[in-house]
Amino acid sequence: MSASTPKTLCTSGQQSIQDICHPLSAEESVRTPSPDVGNTTGSIGEKDLSLPNGTPVDTSSPASSSSLLNRLQLDDDLDGETRDLFVTVDDPKKHVSTMETYITYRVSTKTTRVEFDLPEYSVRRRYQDFDWLRIKLEDTQPTHLIPPLPEKFVMKGVVDRFSEEFVETRRKALDKFLKRVADHPVLSFNEHFNVFLSAKDLNAYKKQGLALLTKMGESVKYVTGGYKLRGRPLEFAAMGDYLDVFTQKLGTIDRIAQRIIKEQSEYLVELREYGPVYSSWAGFEGPLQEPLEGVAGCVANCAGALDELTEDMSDDFLPVLREYVLYIESMKTVLKKRDNVQAEYEAKLEAVAFRKEERTAQPPTDVEKCQDRVECFNADLKADWDRWQNNKRQDFRQLLTGMADRNIQYYEKCLSAWESIIPLLQDRPENTKTETS
Amino acid sequence: MMADTGSDEVAVIGNIDLTPGEIENNMKNTQKSEKGPVLFRKMEINVAEAEKRTVKNAVNMQEIYTVYLIETRPADAASEGTNSTPDSLWRRYSEFEILRNFLLVTYPFVVVPPLPEKRAEFVWHKLTADNMDPDFVERRRVGLENFLLRVASHPTLSTDNIFFSFLTEENGWKEMVFETGFQAKADSRLKALNATFRVKNPDKRFAEMKHYGDELQSVISQLLRVRARVADRLYGVYKVHGNYGRVFSEWSAIEKEMGDGLQSAGHHMDAYAASVDDILEEEEHYADQLKEYLFYTEALRAVCRKHELIQYELEMAAQDLTTKKQQQEELATGTVRTFSLKGMTSKLFGQETPEQREAKMKVLEGQIQEGEDSLKEQNTECDVFVKSAWSDIERFKDQKNHDLKEALISYAIMQISMCKKGIQVWTNAKECFNKM
Repeated sequence: MSASTPKTLCTSGQQSIQDICHPLSAEESVRTPSPDVGNTTGSIGEKDLSLPNGTPVDTSSPASSSSLLNRLQLDDDLDGETRDLFVTVDDPKKHVSTMETYITYRVSTKTTRVEFDLPEYSVRRRYQDFDWLRIKLEDTQPTHLIPPLPEKFVMKGVVDRFSEEFVETRRKALDKFLKRVADHPVLSFNEHFNVFLSAKDLNAYKKQGLALLTKMGESVKYVTGGYKLRGRPLEFAAMGDYLDVFTQKLGTIDRIAQRIIKEQSEYLVELREYGPVYSSWAGFEGPLQEPLEGVAGCVANCAGALDELTEDMSDDFLPVLREYVLYIESMKTVLKKRDNVQAEYEAKLEAVAFRKEERTAQPPTDVEKCQDRVECFNADLKADWDRWQNNKRQDFRQLLTGMADRNIQYYEKCLSAWESIIPLLQDRPENTKTETS
Repeated sequence: MMADTGSDEVAVIGNIDLTPGEIENNMKNTQKSEKGPVLFRKMEINVAEAEKRTVKNAVNMQEIYTVYLIETRPADAASEGTNSTPDSLWRRYSEFEILRNFLLVTYPFVVVPPLPEKRAEFVWHKLTADNMDPDFVERRRVGLENFLLRVASHPTLSTDNIFFSFLTEENGWKEMVFETGFQAKADSRLKALNATFRVKNPDKRFAEMKHYGDELQSVISQLLRVRARVADRLYGVYKVHGNYGRVFSEWSAIEKEMGDGLQSAGHHMDAYAASVDDILEEEEHYADQLKEYLFYTEALRAVCRKHELIQYELEMAAQDLTTKKQQQEELATGTVRTFSLKGMTSKLFGQETPEQREAKMKVLEGQIQEGEDSLKEQNTECDVFVKSAWSDIERFKDQKNHDLKEALISYAIMQISMCKKGIQVWTNAKECFNKM
């Protein structure tokens, strides 16, 4: 392959073939997709170096040495102002046909990017379509971390696929998936993603098979060629270790959260029996009737608040936690792919070393290509890793503060219930003052 | 209310603990007592401490028991400003029981305050049912003090000499109380209370009160049972949160920027888990207040049963007198109105001689006279009992309504405190999460 033929570049976005330079060449062309968009973070064609959340990417590798122009240190809050692609998943609807019943979701897009013909789109997609998109992304962007989808299969009979809670949980996960892709400076420019967001008839497109520009991606499959990696470089080894421990901790947190939900449910059962006893007591008392009924009502209110808390934790907290486990699995897969690429390179390098006659001043082109691939992959991976770490930090901050918020709301509801019956209990003016701590 | 027999003749049956004279005497005592109408106002009473003692029992084995220090001080000492040392003595639980049994027997028209439970019941899993457990001993100390204060503030009970000696004379009190002979009365009282008999004309108020007592007992038992289960579950919820503390700490070790926030949040989760111990310990006070009234229902039932017993005996006595009068009539007129074996045999084997008849008449007359006197006394006794018992029941009702209302208020305050603590902890945790 000559140097001018299209190669898989680390950050192959929506570029025409001619514009792609050799990653090792000195000049880099800097492109912004649309001139009127400001310093958008995700808009650099070649290397994704300024992340949506502003952390700079490690630029030690020669392949990513230049074009760091739009590296802005953005606060998380400014995110919305500089984004040029907004995607939302909502409005689930049930479709019943003779063959099957399924749910579709509305996918709405607003964008100023030139890659899109229109500034707005609204299409309907079902889970299979998302699944297809993810597979396509994995195939065409093998060096990148693809966000996870919610679980495909649900055990029939255990979970009602059409219940409001299940559909809502799934919708949120699908929405997050698309948002993560849309926020990714490389993935968001992926052609399949574009079609997913814009095509009226996705099935027709799916049937087309390989689209025009996908040859680049499809031609290079990072299949295990039986190369074994001798040793992971330190930084990637560290990533792997981190992921292992992190998976463990997430698993523990998942178990704890489930246990809490279980304990709370059992507590709720007892509360629902406790309140009515006060009511039945009130039934045969005279002056004590109102206070007793008041207490019964209070307990009932607290039970209701507890019910809400448990439901929210079940519906919102656990699924997000589980999603991250899937995310970690994706990341591990990408790490392994990187290992394979490196292994191939090292194997080829070794092979060359043994063949004395072919030793020239410059390493042969296919070895060179392998080296390119390794370096490209490493750069992409590091960039994605940093972005993922940042997103993870935000996501968990949101998740945990959400958990804290719900608990605070639960206690506030109970507090107001009990505070409201104090005057009822003390309805006689000569009663002694009580102290509220 | 008197037995509706239509006549005053009756013979005495059964066991009456107090003669009307005795009851009147007791009431006079309460009014003229030199200690004043209510002991409570004259004396500060305190169950200050609990201590363990060992003793070798009858079979030469070591027995451990707990004694309680009762401190008394004249109430005006505090107002005078002199911090005089209180008088004190030690008593064990069994002595309290003796005192209470004495009061039950001596004042059957009083709803006698109950003692704290002998063994821990309605426990949730963390609490042991162990009588030696320090928390149990502490709650019992409070319960015993409460018992003494209730007795001391009762218009009738507070003037009792035995009660006064219980508070002031450590040695010799037991002998004193047994010398009153109450033990024998206690046994017969117990038997009478458990006997089955049917009253023809019970006082409706007492019957209703007895029914109320039964319902109250049932509902409070149920409430205590469910509350114990609720406490158990609440404990579980809080304690599991403690696991977050550990895992956040472990997780923070592999994180850079997130580490500090996670770690501190974990500490708050630990604090949250630990807070449930105090919360539930406080709630035990509420349970104890409910238990007191649970045990009170027994005393209430006893008074109602006592009324039934008196009423029943009155009815029996009236019945008996009627029968004797009829016999008298028959003897006088020679007609047999009621069937009797004697009557039949005399018919079969011939009438009696006039002398025999004369003798019988005389005996009957004597019996009828006795019966009429006795019935009069019993009627008075019944009246006095009904009056004093109902007055005490009214006093008890007011006390109950007041106390239970206060208990509910303090329970609500406990819940409010628990909610505020919860809000505090989660707000702190949220701040830490925000710093992640």
